[in-house]
Amino acid sequence: MRDPYSVLGVSQNASDEEVKKAYRELARKFHPDNYQNNPLADLAEEKMKEINEAYDTITKQRSGGYSGSSSRNYTGYQQSYGSGNPGYIRVRNLINAGDLEGAEQLLYEVGQRDGEWYFLSGSIAYRRGWLDEAMQNYTRAVQMEPGNMEYRQALAVMQRGAMGGYRPAGYATGIDTMDCCTTMLCLNCLCGGGRC
Amino acid sequence: MFGYVRPFRPELKCKDFDLYKATYCGLCRCLRRRYGLIAPMFLNFDFTFLALLLWEPEECFTPCQGRCYANPLLRKPMCPDSPALDQAADASVVLAWWKLQDTVQDEDFWKGLCARALLWTLKPAYRKAVCRCPDFDRTVKTCLEELAVLERENCACLDRAADTFARLLQGASPQGGERGRILSQLLYHLGRWIYLADAQDDLERDKLSGRYNPVFARYGPDGDSRALTMTMNQSIELVGAALQLGEFGCRKALLENIVYLGLPLVQRAVFNGTWNEIKKQKIWRNDR
Repeated sequence: MRDPYSVLGVSQNASDEEVKKAYRELARKFHPDNYQNNPLADLAEEKMKEINEAYDTITKQRSGGYSGSSSRNYTGYQQSYGSGNPGYIRVRNLINAGDLEGAEQLLYEVGQRDGEWYFLSGSIAYRRGWLDEAMQNYTRAVQMEPGNMEYRQALAVMQRGAMGGYRPAGYATGIDTMDCCTTMLCLNCLCGGGRC
Repeated sequence: MFGYVRPFRPELKCKDFDLYKATYCGLCRCLRRRYGLIAPMFLNFDFTFLALLLWEPEECFTPCQGRCYANPLLRKPMCPDSPALDQAADASVVLAWWKLQDTVQDEDFWKGLCARALLWTLKPAYRKAVCRCPDFDRTVKTCLEELAVLERENCACLDRAADTFARLLQGASPQGGERGRILSQLLYHLGRWIYLADAQDDLERDKLSGRYNPVFARYGPDGDSRALTMTMNQSIELVGAALQLGEFGCRKALLENIVYLGLPLVQRAVFNGTWNEIKKQKIWRNDR
Protein backbone atom coordinates (compact mmCIF):
# COMPACT_ATOMS: atom_id res chain seq x y z
CA MET A 1 0.00 0.00 0.00
CA ARG A 2 1.18 3.52 -0.73
CA ASP A 3 2.23 5.80 2.07
CA PRO A 4 -1.05 7.15 3.51
CA TYR A 5 0.37 10.65 3.81
CA SER A 6 1.29 10.84 0.16
CA VAL A 7 -2.17 9.53 -0.77
CA LEU A 8 -3.70 12.50 1.03
CA GLY A 9 -0.96 14.79 -0.25
CA VAL A 10 0.17 16.03 3.18
CA SER A 11 3.50 15.79 4.99
CA GLN A 12 4.17 13.36 7.85
CA ASN A 13 4.14 16.15 10.41
CA ALA A 14 0.93 17.79 9.25
CA SER A 15 -1.50 18.62 12.03
CA ASP A 16 -4.67 16.59 12.54
CA GLU A 17 -6.61 19.52 11.20
CA GLU A 18 -4.57 19.63 7.99
CA VAL A 19 -4.97 15.90 7.46
CA LYS A 20 -8.71 16.22 7.92
CA LYS A 21 -8.89 19.13 5.53
CA ALA A 22 -6.93 17.31 2.84
CA TYR A 23 -9.13 14.26 3.31
CA ARG A 24 -12.31 16.29 2.99
CA GLU A 25 -11.11 18.04 -0.15
CA LEU A 26 -10.21 14.73 -1.81
CA ALA A 27 -13.45 13.13 -0.70
CA ARG A 28 -15.35 16.03 -2.19
CA LYS A 29 -13.41 15.64 -5.42
CA PHE A 30 -14.00 11.92 -5.87
CA HIS A 31 -17.45 11.78 -4.31
CA PRO A 32 -19.68 9.26 -6.10
CA ASP A 33 -22.13 12.09 -6.82
CA ASN A 34 -19.62 13.57 -9.23
CA TYR A 35 -19.25 10.30 -11.12
CA GLN A 36 -22.76 8.99 -11.15
CA ASN A 37 -23.39 7.05 -14.33
CA ASN A 38 -19.95 8.12 -15.55
CA PRO A 39 -17.96 5.41 -17.37
CA LEU A 40 -15.02 6.32 -15.13
CA ALA A 41 -17.03 5.75 -11.92
CA ASP A 42 -15.00 2.65 -11.02
CA LEU A 43 -11.75 4.65 -11.07
CA ALA A 44 -13.27 7.31 -8.82
CA GLU A 45 -14.49 4.61 -6.47
CA GLU A 46 -11.00 3.12 -6.28
CA LYS A 47 -9.54 6.52 -5.46
CA MET A 48 -12.20 7.00 -2.81
CA LYS A 49 -11.34 3.67 -1.26
CA GLU A 50 -7.67 4.52 -1.22
CA ILE A 51 -8.33 7.87 0.43
CA ASN A 52 -10.61 6.31 3.05
CA GLU A 53 -8.01 3.68 3.88
CA ALA A 54 -5.24 6.25 4.10
CA TYR A 55 -7.29 8.45 6.40
CA ASP A 56 -8.21 5.48 8.59
CA THR A 57 -4.59 4.40 8.84
CA ILE A 58 -3.44 7.87 9.85
CA THR A 59 -6.17 8.33 12.46
CA LYS A 60 -5.37 4.91 13.89
CA GLN A 61 -1.66 5.65 14.06
CA ARG A 62 -2.25 8.98 15.71
CA SER A 63 -4.71 7.73 18.28
CA GLY A 64 -2.17 5.15 19.40
CA GLY A 65 -3.40 2.07 17.63
CA TYR A 66 -7.02 2.55 18.54
CA SER A 67 -9.01 1.08 15.73
CA GLY A 68 -11.78 3.53 15.12
CA SER A 69 -14.62 2.55 12.89
CA SER A 70 -14.59 3.80 9.37
CA SER A 71 -18.31 4.42 9.41
CA ARG A 72 -17.79 8.11 8.73
CA ASN A 73 -16.31 7.36 5.37
CA TYR A 74 -18.04 8.39 2.23
CA THR A 75 -19.16 5.41 0.28
CA GLY A 76 -20.78 4.65 -3.00
CA TYR A 77 -24.48 4.25 -3.49
CA GLN A 78 -26.30 0.99 -3.53
CA GLN A 79 -27.56 0.36 -7.00
CA SER A 80 -31.31 0.17 -6.81
CA TYR A 81 -33.23 -2.00 -9.17
CA GLY A 82 -36.26 -0.05 -10.26
CA SER A 83 -39.43 -1.95 -10.89
CA GLY A 84 -37.97 -5.43 -11.00
CA ASN A 85 -39.04 -6.01 -14.60
CA PRO A 86 -36.60 -8.76 -15.72
CA GLY A 87 -36.03 -7.07 -19.09
CA TYR A 88 -35.01 -3.84 -17.39
CA ILE A 89 -32.74 -5.64 -14.94
CA ARG A 90 -30.87 -7.15 -17.86
CA VAL A 91 -30.60 -3.75 -19.51
CA ARG A 92 -29.22 -2.30 -16.28
CA ASN A 93 -26.66 -5.07 -16.03
CA LEU A 94 -25.54 -4.46 -19.59
CA ILE A 95 -25.23 -0.71 -18.95
CA ASN A 96 -23.14 -1.37 -15.87
CA ALA A 97 -20.94 -3.74 -17.83
CA GLY A 98 -20.43 -1.06 -20.45
CA ASP A 99 -22.18 -2.86 -23.31
CA LEU A 100 -24.24 0.10 -24.47
CA GLU A 101 -25.17 -1.29 -27.89
CA GLY A 102 -26.47 -4.50 -26.33
CA ALA A 103 -28.39 -2.53 -23.74
CA GLU A 104 -29.97 -0.29 -26.35
CA GLN A 105 -31.01 -3.21 -28.51
CA LEU A 106 -32.56 -5.02 -25.57
CA LEU A 107 -34.34 -1.87 -24.50
CA TYR A 108 -35.96 -1.52 -27.91
CA GLU A 109 -37.27 -5.05 -27.64
CA VAL A 110 -39.17 -4.11 -24.47
CA GLY A 111 -42.58 -3.08 -25.73
CA GLN A 112 -44.06 -0.52 -23.38
CA ARG A 113 -42.50 2.88 -22.97
CA ASP A 114 -42.91 3.82 -19.33
CA GLY A 115 -40.86 6.03 -17.03
CA GLU A 116 -38.18 3.41 -16.52
CA TRP A 117 -37.81 2.92 -20.25
CA TYR A 118 -37.00 6.61 -20.69
CA PHE A 119 -34.77 6.58 -17.63
CA LEU A 120 -32.72 3.69 -18.98
CA SER A 121 -32.62 5.19 -22.43
CA GLY A 122 -31.35 8.39 -20.81
CA SER A 123 -28.70 6.44 -18.88
CA ILE A 124 -27.41 4.89 -22.09
CA ALA A 125 -27.24 8.32 -23.75
CA TYR A 126 -25.50 9.79 -20.72
CA ARG A 127 -22.86 7.09 -20.73
CA ARG A 128 -22.22 7.79 -24.38
CA GLY A 129 -21.83 11.46 -23.64
CA TRP A 130 -25.00 12.33 -25.57
CA LEU A 131 -26.05 14.78 -22.94
CA ASP A 132 -28.80 16.54 -24.83
CA GLU A 133 -30.58 13.28 -25.46
CA ALA A 134 -29.96 12.09 -21.89
CA MET A 135 -31.52 15.28 -20.56
CA GLN A 136 -34.62 14.86 -22.72
CA ASN A 137 -35.07 11.25 -21.66
CA TYR A 138 -34.54 11.89 -17.95
CA THR A 139 -36.97 14.79 -18.06
CA ARG A 140 -39.54 12.58 -19.73
CA ALA A 141 -39.03 9.83 -17.15
CA VAL A 142 -39.55 12.29 -14.30
CA GLN A 143 -42.66 13.68 -15.99
CA MET A 144 -44.14 10.21 -16.33
CA GLU A 145 -43.30 9.08 -12.79
CA PRO A 146 -42.77 12.20 -10.69
CA GLY A 147 -42.59 10.17 -7.48
CA ASN A 148 -39.58 8.07 -8.46
CA MET A 149 -36.52 9.22 -6.55
CA GLU A 150 -34.03 7.46 -8.81
CA TYR A 151 -35.14 9.36 -11.89
CA ARG A 152 -35.39 12.62 -10.04
CA GLN A 153 -31.89 12.19 -8.68
CA ALA A 154 -30.45 11.40 -12.11
CA LEU A 155 -32.03 14.55 -13.50
CA ALA A 156 -30.91 16.58 -10.50
CA VAL A 157 -27.31 15.38 -10.92
CA MET A 158 -27.36 16.50 -14.54
CA GLN A 159 -28.83 19.90 -13.70
CA ARG A 160 -26.50 20.39 -10.78
CA GLY A 161 -23.54 19.25 -12.86
CA ALA A 162 -24.30 21.93 -15.38
CA MET A 163 -24.27 24.55 -12.69
CA GLY A 164 -21.15 23.39 -10.92
CA GLY A 165 -20.14 20.05 -9.48
CA TYR A 166 -16.66 19.79 -8.05
CA ARG A 167 -14.22 22.66 -8.54
CA PRO A 168 -10.71 22.72 -7.10
CA ALA A 169 -10.05 25.40 -4.50
CA GLY A 170 -9.51 28.71 -6.21
CA TYR A 171 -11.75 27.90 -9.14
CA ALA A 172 -14.87 27.73 -7.05
CA THR A 173 -15.63 31.42 -6.89
CA GLY A 174 -18.56 32.16 -9.05
CA ILE A 175 -17.60 33.33 -12.47
CA ASP A 176 -21.20 32.39 -13.10
CA THR A 177 -22.38 35.21 -10.91
CA MET A 178 -20.33 37.85 -12.67
CA ASP A 179 -22.25 40.61 -14.29
CA CYS A 180 -21.91 41.38 -17.95
CA CYS A 181 -19.36 44.13 -17.46
CA THR A 182 -17.00 41.96 -15.43
CA THR A 183 -17.28 39.22 -18.00
CA MET A 184 -16.22 41.64 -20.70
CA LEU A 185 -13.29 42.74 -18.57
CA CYS A 186 -12.21 39.16 -18.06
CA LEU A 187 -12.61 38.35 -21.71
CA ASN A 188 -10.42 41.28 -22.45
CA CYS A 189 -7.78 39.90 -20.12
CA LEU A 190 -8.12 36.51 -21.75
CA CYS A 191 -6.51 38.03 -24.76
CA GLY A 192 -3.88 40.12 -23.13
CA GLY A 193 -5.86 43.30 -23.02
CA GLY A 194 -6.29 43.49 -26.74
CA ARG A 195 -2.90 45.05 -27.27
CA CYS A 196 -2.06 42.98 -30.25
CA MET B 1 -12.83 25.11 -35.54
CA PHE B 2 -9.57 25.78 -33.77
CA GLY B 3 -8.42 27.97 -30.93
CA TYR B 4 -11.29 27.54 -28.49
CA VAL B 5 -9.20 25.80 -25.85
CA ARG B 6 -7.04 28.41 -24.18
CA PRO B 7 -5.99 29.40 -20.67
CA PHE B 8 -7.38 32.33 -18.75
CA ARG B 9 -4.31 34.40 -18.23
CA PRO B 10 -5.08 36.62 -15.20
CA GLU B 11 -5.57 33.55 -13.03
CA LEU B 12 -2.41 31.78 -14.22
CA LYS B 13 0.61 31.64 -11.96
CA CYS B 14 3.78 32.94 -13.58
CA LYS B 15 5.32 29.47 -13.64
CA ASP B 16 2.23 28.06 -15.33
CA PHE B 17 2.26 30.83 -17.88
CA ASP B 18 5.93 30.09 -18.63
CA LEU B 19 5.06 26.43 -18.92
CA TYR B 20 2.24 27.17 -21.36
CA LYS B 21 4.33 29.46 -23.48
CA ALA B 22 7.27 27.05 -23.57
CA THR B 23 4.96 24.21 -24.56
CA TYR B 24 3.47 26.35 -27.33
CA CYS B 25 6.93 27.31 -28.61
CA GLY B 26 8.11 23.72 -28.18
CA LEU B 27 5.23 22.48 -30.31
CA CYS B 28 6.06 25.05 -32.96
CA ARG B 29 9.67 23.88 -33.05
CA CYS B 30 8.59 20.26 -33.10
CA LEU B 31 6.32 20.94 -36.09
CA ARG B 32 9.16 22.67 -37.92
CA ARG B 33 11.64 19.88 -37.22
CA ARG B 34 9.32 17.04 -38.06
CA TYR B 35 7.35 18.55 -40.91
CA GLY B 36 9.29 21.42 -42.42
CA LEU B 37 8.67 25.10 -42.91
CA ILE B 38 4.95 25.09 -43.72
CA ALA B 39 3.76 23.02 -40.78
CA PRO B 40 4.17 25.65 -38.01
CA MET B 41 1.41 27.60 -39.77
CA PHE B 42 -1.00 25.08 -38.31
CA LEU B 43 0.16 25.58 -34.76
CA ASN B 44 -2.73 26.32 -32.39
CA PHE B 45 -3.81 26.45 -28.77
CA ASP B 46 -5.90 23.30 -28.94
CA PHE B 47 -2.96 21.10 -29.77
CA THR B 48 -0.87 22.79 -27.11
CA PHE B 49 -3.54 21.58 -24.70
CA LEU B 50 -3.27 18.10 -26.21
CA ALA B 51 0.51 18.10 -25.74
CA LEU B 52 0.08 19.14 -22.10
CA LEU B 53 -2.39 16.31 -21.58
CA LEU B 54 -0.20 13.67 -23.19
CA TRP B 55 2.94 14.61 -21.30
CA GLU B 56 4.31 12.00 -18.91
CA PRO B 57 3.18 13.16 -15.45
CA GLU B 58 6.56 12.39 -13.85
CA GLU B 59 8.44 14.65 -16.20
CA CYS B 60 9.27 18.06 -14.73
CA PHE B 61 9.28 21.29 -16.66
CA THR B 62 12.84 22.00 -17.83
CA PRO B 63 12.82 24.41 -20.76
CA CYS B 64 15.75 24.87 -23.11
CA GLN B 65 16.51 27.92 -25.24
CA GLY B 66 15.64 27.88 -28.91
CA ARG B 67 15.31 30.25 -31.81
CA CYS B 68 11.84 31.58 -32.47
CA TYR B 69 10.44 30.55 -35.82
CA ALA B 70 8.42 33.71 -36.34
CA ASN B 71 11.31 35.97 -35.41
CA PRO B 72 14.71 34.25 -35.75
CA LEU B 73 16.45 37.11 -33.95
CA LEU B 74 14.78 36.08 -30.71
CA ARG B 75 15.71 33.20 -28.50
CA LYS B 76 12.91 31.87 -26.37
CA PRO B 77 12.50 29.24 -23.65
CA MET B 78 10.83 26.18 -25.15
CA CYS B 79 10.09 22.66 -24.06
CA PRO B 80 12.64 20.18 -25.44
CA ASP B 81 11.47 17.46 -27.82
CA SER B 82 9.32 14.82 -26.20
CA PRO B 83 6.92 12.07 -27.25
CA ALA B 84 3.96 14.24 -26.19
CA LEU B 85 5.01 17.07 -28.50
CA ASP B 86 5.63 14.61 -31.32
CA GLN B 87 2.14 13.13 -30.98
CA ALA B 88 0.51 16.54 -30.80
CA ALA B 89 2.47 17.64 -33.88
CA ASP B 90 1.44 14.53 -35.83
CA ALA B 91 -2.18 15.04 -34.86
CA SER B 92 -2.16 18.71 -35.86
CA VAL B 93 -0.81 17.96 -39.32
CA VAL B 94 -3.38 15.21 -39.93
CA LEU B 95 -6.25 17.35 -38.71
CA ALA B 96 -5.07 20.43 -40.62
CA TRP B 97 -5.00 18.34 -43.79
CA TRP B 98 -8.54 17.08 -43.40
CA LYS B 99 -9.80 20.49 -42.37
CA LEU B 100 -8.37 21.93 -45.61
CA GLN B 101 -9.98 19.13 -47.61
CA ASP B 102 -13.24 20.07 -45.97
CA THR B 103 -12.76 23.73 -46.89
CA VAL B 104 -12.07 22.82 -50.52
CA GLN B 105 -15.40 21.02 -50.69
CA ASP B 106 -17.48 23.51 -48.72
CA GLU B 107 -16.26 26.97 -49.67
CA ASP B 108 -16.64 28.98 -52.84
CA PHE B 109 -14.07 28.93 -55.64
CA TRP B 110 -11.64 31.60 -54.36
CA LYS B 111 -11.43 30.42 -50.78
CA GLY B 112 -11.24 26.91 -52.09
CA LEU B 113 -8.33 27.92 -54.28
CA CYS B 114 -6.33 29.08 -51.24
CA ALA B 115 -7.09 25.84 -49.45
CA ARG B 116 -6.03 23.87 -52.54
CA ALA B 117 -2.70 25.69 -52.63
CA LEU B 118 -2.13 25.00 -48.95
CA LEU B 119 -3.07 21.37 -49.42
CA TRP B 120 -0.50 21.07 -52.15
CA THR B 121 2.25 22.48 -49.92
CA LEU B 122 1.17 20.40 -46.95
CA LYS B 123 1.06 17.12 -48.84
CA PRO B 124 4.60 15.85 -48.02
CA ALA B 125 4.08 16.63 -44.34
CA TYR B 126 0.72 14.87 -44.36
CA ARG B 127 2.23 11.76 -45.95
CA LYS B 128 4.84 11.63 -43.22
CA ALA B 129 2.23 12.13 -40.50
CA VAL B 130 0.07 9.30 -41.86
CA CYS B 131 3.00 6.90 -41.58
CA ARG B 132 3.51 7.95 -37.98
CA CYS B 133 -0.10 7.77 -36.82
CA PRO B 134 -2.15 5.74 -39.33
CA ASP B 135 -4.86 4.96 -36.77
CA PHE B 136 -5.58 8.59 -36.04
CA ASP B 137 -5.72 9.39 -39.74
CA ARG B 138 -8.23 6.59 -40.28
CA THR B 139 -10.37 7.75 -37.36
CA VAL B 140 -10.42 11.31 -38.65
CA LYS B 141 -11.35 10.17 -42.12
CA THR B 142 -14.22 7.91 -41.05
CA CYS B 143 -15.58 10.42 -38.54
CA LEU B 144 -15.59 13.22 -41.09
CA GLU B 145 -17.30 10.96 -43.62
CA GLU B 146 -19.97 10.14 -41.07
CA LEU B 147 -20.37 13.82 -40.33
CA ALA B 148 -20.78 14.58 -44.03
CA VAL B 149 -23.59 12.01 -44.24
CA LEU B 150 -25.35 13.55 -41.23
CA GLU B 151 -24.96 16.99 -42.77
CA ARG B 152 -26.62 15.83 -45.96
CA GLU B 153 -29.49 14.33 -43.97
CA ASN B 154 -29.82 17.62 -42.07
CA CYS B 155 -29.60 15.65 -38.81
CA ALA B 156 -31.66 17.25 -36.04
CA CYS B 157 -29.96 15.27 -33.28
CA LEU B 158 -27.36 17.54 -31.76
CA ASP B 159 -25.60 14.69 -29.99
CA ARG B 160 -25.27 12.51 -33.04
CA ALA B 161 -23.55 15.26 -35.02
CA ALA B 162 -21.32 16.26 -32.11
CA ASP B 163 -20.50 12.59 -31.53
CA THR B 164 -18.58 12.39 -34.81
CA PHE B 165 -16.22 15.22 -33.93
CA ALA B 166 -15.97 14.02 -30.33
CA ARG B 167 -14.86 10.57 -31.49
CA LEU B 168 -12.44 12.19 -33.89
CA LEU B 169 -10.68 14.00 -31.06
CA GLN B 170 -10.92 10.93 -28.88
CA GLY B 171 -8.77 9.20 -31.50
CA ALA B 172 -5.83 11.34 -30.38
CA SER B 173 -5.76 9.71 -26.94
CA PRO B 174 -3.37 6.88 -26.13
CA GLN B 175 -4.88 3.40 -26.24
CA GLY B 176 -5.53 1.16 -23.28
CA GLY B 177 -4.83 1.32 -19.59
CA GLU B 178 -6.29 3.57 -16.96
CA ARG B 179 -4.64 6.63 -18.45
CA GLY B 180 -5.99 5.80 -21.89
CA ARG B 181 -9.52 5.49 -20.53
CA ILE B 182 -9.33 8.78 -18.69
CA LEU B 183 -7.84 10.70 -21.61
CA SER B 184 -10.26 9.25 -24.11
CA GLN B 185 -13.22 10.34 -21.97
CA LEU B 186 -11.68 13.75 -21.51
CA LEU B 187 -11.03 14.25 -25.21
CA TYR B 188 -14.46 12.94 -26.17
CA HIS B 189 -16.21 15.59 -24.12
CA LEU B 190 -13.77 18.26 -25.15
CA GLY B 191 -14.45 17.39 -28.78
CA ARG B 192 -18.18 17.59 -28.16
CA TRP B 193 -17.76 20.97 -26.55
CA ILE B 194 -15.57 22.31 -29.38
CA TYR B 195 -18.05 21.12 -31.99
CA LEU B 196 -20.99 22.77 -30.24
CA ALA B 197 -19.07 25.99 -29.61
CA ASP B 198 -18.14 26.10 -33.28
CA ALA B 199 -21.72 25.39 -34.33
CA GLN B 200 -23.06 28.22 -32.18
CA ASP B 201 -20.34 30.52 -33.49
CA ASP B 202 -21.22 29.72 -37.11
CA LEU B 203 -24.98 29.95 -36.58
CA GLU B 204 -25.48 33.38 -38.21
CA ARG B 205 -23.15 32.63 -41.10
CA ASP B 206 -24.71 29.25 -41.81
CA LYS B 207 -28.18 30.77 -41.63
CA LEU B 208 -27.27 33.17 -44.43
CA SER B 209 -25.49 30.64 -46.59
CA GLY B 210 -28.05 27.91 -45.95
CA ARG B 211 -25.45 25.42 -44.86
CA TYR B 212 -26.08 22.68 -42.30
CA ASN B 213 -25.78 23.78 -38.70
CA PRO B 214 -26.62 21.38 -35.86
CA VAL B 215 -27.81 24.16 -33.53
CA PHE B 216 -30.16 25.43 -36.25
CA ALA B 217 -31.41 21.90 -36.94
CA ARG B 218 -32.04 21.17 -33.27
CA TYR B 219 -33.34 24.45 -31.88
CA GLY B 220 -34.49 26.44 -34.91
CA PRO B 221 -33.05 29.56 -36.57
CA ASP B 222 -32.48 31.52 -33.38
CA GLY B 223 -30.85 28.71 -31.47
CA ASP B 224 -31.60 28.24 -27.79
CA SER B 225 -28.75 29.66 -25.80
CA ARG B 226 -30.12 28.44 -22.47
CA ALA B 227 -30.42 24.81 -23.46
CA LEU B 228 -27.19 24.81 -25.42
CA THR B 229 -25.27 26.47 -22.58
CA MET B 230 -26.55 23.82 -20.23
CA THR B 231 -25.51 20.90 -22.38
CA MET B 232 -22.12 22.50 -23.06
CA ASN B 233 -21.62 23.08 -19.33
CA GLN B 234 -22.30 19.42 -18.77
CA SER B 235 -19.55 18.58 -21.20
CA ILE B 236 -17.11 20.87 -19.40
CA GLU B 237 -18.17 19.22 -16.17
CA LEU B 238 -17.32 15.78 -17.55
CA VAL B 239 -13.99 17.02 -18.93
CA GLY B 240 -13.24 18.25 -15.41
CA ALA B 241 -14.33 14.98 -13.79
CA ALA B 242 -11.97 13.04 -16.05
CA LEU B 243 -9.15 15.54 -15.49
CA GLN B 244 -9.39 15.07 -11.72
CA LEU B 245 -8.90 11.31 -12.04
CA GLY B 246 -5.72 11.52 -14.08
CA GLU B 247 -2.15 12.21 -13.03
CA PHE B 248 -0.70 15.28 -14.72
CA GLY B 249 2.15 16.24 -12.38
CA CYS B 250 3.31 19.83 -12.67
CA ARG B 251 0.88 20.48 -15.55
CA LYS B 252 -2.24 19.92 -13.46
CA ALA B 253 -2.77 23.53 -12.36
CA LEU B 254 -2.44 24.82 -15.92
CA LEU B 255 -4.84 22.21 -17.25
CA GLU B 256 -7.32 23.08 -14.51
CA ASN B 257 -7.10 26.74 -15.45
CA ILE B 258 -7.88 25.92 -19.08
CA VAL B 259 -10.81 23.65 -18.24
CA TYR B 260 -12.42 25.53 -15.38
CA LEU B 261 -11.78 29.13 -16.45
CA GLY B 262 -10.73 29.24 -20.09
CA LEU B 263 -13.49 27.08 -21.56
CA PRO B 264 -16.39 28.79 -19.70
CA LEU B 265 -15.18 32.24 -20.73
CA VAL B 266 -14.73 31.28 -24.35
CA GLN B 267 -18.19 29.74 -24.25
CA ARG B 268 -19.64 32.97 -22.92
CA ALA B 269 -17.88 34.92 -25.67
CA VAL B 270 -19.28 32.60 -28.32
CA PHE B 271 -22.80 33.21 -27.03
CA ASN B 272 -22.58 36.99 -26.68
CA GLY B 273 -20.90 37.45 -30.02
CA THR B 274 -17.57 38.84 -28.83
CA TRP B 275 -15.66 35.75 -29.82
CA ASN B 276 -14.84 36.93 -33.31
CA GLU B 277 -12.73 39.80 -32.00
CA ILE B 278 -11.11 37.69 -29.33
CA LYS B 279 -10.05 34.72 -31.37
CA LYS B 280 -7.71 36.70 -33.57
CA GLN B 281 -5.76 38.01 -30.61
CA LYS B 282 -2.78 36.26 -29.12
CA ILE B 283 -2.80 35.66 -25.41
CA TRP B 284 0.69 36.77 -24.52
CA ARG B 285 1.40 39.97 -26.35
CA ASN B 286 1.33 42.33 -23.36
CA ASP B 287 4.18 40.61 -21.57
CA ARG B 288 6.84 42.25 -23.65
